[in-house]
Amino acid sequence: MNTLLTVANLKKSFKDKEALKGISFEVYRGEIMAILGPNGAGKSTTIRNIMGIMYPDSGEIHFHQQSGKGIPKSKIGYLPEERGLYKDVKVMDILLYLADLKDYPLDKAKERIFMYLKKFDLEGKENTSVEELSKGMSQKVQFIGSILHEPELLILDEPFSGLDPVSQEVFKEEIASLAANGTAILLSSHQMNLVEQMCDRLFMIQHGEKVIYGTLDDVKKQYANFKCVLHGENPPALLEKIPEVDRIEYSGNRSILHLPKGIIPHQWLKQLPNELDVQELHINRISLHEIFIDIATDKHLVSQEGGS
Amino acid sequence: MQNSLKVAKWELKRNLKNKTFVIGLFITPAIFILFFFLGSLFSDSDDTDTAENMTVYINEDIGFFDEIESINKEQDFGWDLQTTDTPQSEITEVDEPYTAYLFINEHSLEENRIATYTSEEADPLFPGQLQALTVPLQVIKAEASGLSQQEINQLMEPISFVEGTNQGEGGSPSSIEENSLFDLDNPWETMIPGVFAGIIMLSITFTGMAIFQSASQEKKDKIAEIILSSLTPSELMQGKIIGYFMLGLIQVAVFIGILLPFAIWQTDIPILENLFVPRTIFFVLIALLSYLMFASIFVGVGATMSDVSSAGNLQGLVMMLPFLQFVVIGPVISNPDGIVATVSTYIPFTAPLTLLIRLTLLDSWPWIEVIISVAVIVLSIYVFMKLAGKIFKVGILLYGKNATPKEIWKWIRM
Repeated sequence: MNTLLTVANLKKSFKDKEALKGISFEVYRGEIMAILGPNGAGKSTTIRNIMGIMYPDSGEIHFHQQSGKGIPKSKIGYLPEERGLYKDVKVMDILLYLADLKDYPLDKAKERIFMYLKKFDLEGKENTSVEELSKGMSQKVQFIGSILHEPELLILDEPFSGLDPVSQEVFKEEIASLAANGTAILLSSHQMNLVEQMCDRLFMIQHGEKVIYGTLDDVKKQYANFKCVLHGENPPALLEKIPEVDRIEYSGNRSILHLPKGIIPHQWLKQLPNELDVQELHINRISLHEIFIDIATDKHLVSQEGGS
Repeated sequence: MQNSLKVAKWELKRNLKNKTFVIGLFITPAIFILFFFLGSLFSDSDDTDTAENMTVYINEDIGFFDEIESINKEQDFGWDLQTTDTPQSEITEVDEPYTAYLFINEHSLEENRIATYTSEEADPLFPGQLQALTVPLQVIKAEASGLSQQEINQLMEPISFVEGTNQGEGGSPSSIEENSLFDLDNPWETMIPGVFAGIIMLSITFTGMAIFQSASQEKKDKIAEIILSSLTPSELMQGKIIGYFMLGLIQVAVFIGILLPFAIWQTDIPILENLFVPRTIFFVLIALLSYLMFASIFVGVGATMSDVSSAGNLQGLVMMLPFLQFVVIGPVISNPDGIVATVSTYIPFTAPLTLLIRLTLLDSWPWIEVIISVAVIVLSIYVFMKLAGKIFKVGILLYGKNATPKEIWKWIRM
């Protein structure tokens, strides 16, 4: 793997609170790596440290294939969680300014602005004032600003928040296409379904510590046990007789049987009692969303949500 | 530095495309010109009320009439001069308005009293104008007493009180004398550079106040983090300071570009001759230092506010700092060597304008005070820039709320 960014043993404290307790991960070229975690887990702090907007107390952030020290800011694209644009300027002017700050040639930037405006259904909006744009349009312009200069590393903090499903799809496609062209993408999001669809690897963080780190498949193997969704009129006493079941959720005629780790689905199916009423039956792994909730609640995190 | 210049260019471009700024750019000199015309309109109307020229009847027997006529012409008194034989005894009061009688003869010269009769309604300036006749009359008197021309010149030379004349009896008194006479001859020599630098100072300082808004705008529009992904907080801060300095200079250029030709056209003040002198450079340098000091304060405190309209007490107080200078203007002008002037020279916020006024008004510069004052300003700039950098770095990312003084203090100590 062609590593672009290495974060090693990153620590950061605010007052007495340890926001990051020595986290380490790598981001490779051409991959989409998700950084996940509940609010206040330390995602944005990690990203801000990578961007040099904050400075870590200890640990290392290393950009590979860079000559010289420091952060190669012109090679990084960044879309922060809290974002906006100057209101009283034209779309073209602000995008050119952002490209200029990244030392990107302005004539080339102009070409790419037109290309992206067309791609994001904003054709003809280059001379529109930012304050006249809708929220979604403004989000698109911010996104264009972060990728205009052909960054090698693109950091997206909650890129889908506030977007309608159509725009989400457009963003998703563009992110995937950038990764396919070799851009390393570090993405933070709460939309687990999107992360699940897009990401190659993920890093889950809680209370400033690593909880999960690996490819999506590995994570699923490791954490996502099977569950069996059963439709039928079955009394709880009957369901409780079924072997190798961790817990059961009831919802009318629908029951969800959570199976323990290491189960082999087709062998487990053979153990089902004959008197079971089966109208419909699905067996699949639990989703990333459920893993997230599961891990968060196990650690009693959900009740502590708030802040970032 | 390159990034700072990019920010500066952006701020410049953004403001120059802003209609409010462009209108403001031209409206200030336009208001000045309007007030000038309004002023002259009112003074014209005043003139028509009072400027009926005085008719002055002269009864004299010492051959002084021609001298009076030439003084009247030189000083532009506008008197209508007439000789008269009417004896003094016949005049008890003057009924005709704007009329005066002067009785000048050897007897009156001996007594040093010139009998004068003025109508009740008269030019209020007339008594003052009469004083212009004293010196020539004294010369006539001196000539009559048989003094030589040289003796008369020596006698008539004005005596001036000059500070520090006891520093050696050699050549220095004459040089001081030369200086003071020179200054008396040409008050514009110090005035023009002083006013010029004063305009620059006030103009760029007030343009600098826009930095306040610009810094808090970064937070309001939530763009600070995007910008800071490309440059450092110091570069952003420096860029703003440079950008608004350039905007201030544009404002000054437009202001002076419009007003200077107007002033040359409408007044007899020898502006150009006195503008391009070395002291202008020094005065403009003081103006520049003043800008840097206030700009660093504004940019730092601006970064603590989420919105200019919601400025807290602390921020409001800081916004008032440049106005502090105006409080001391009165005492400094009335006594440029007084205690208020001296103390104000050492207080960072009042030092630039006080220094400028004092150097404009004083004949001999208190060099030690000037050096200390400039040192105070330069040191303040250094300190304020450092503090602003610390505040800006954290404050600019604190979206949605104004920083409290306690928080600001914490950032400074970090």
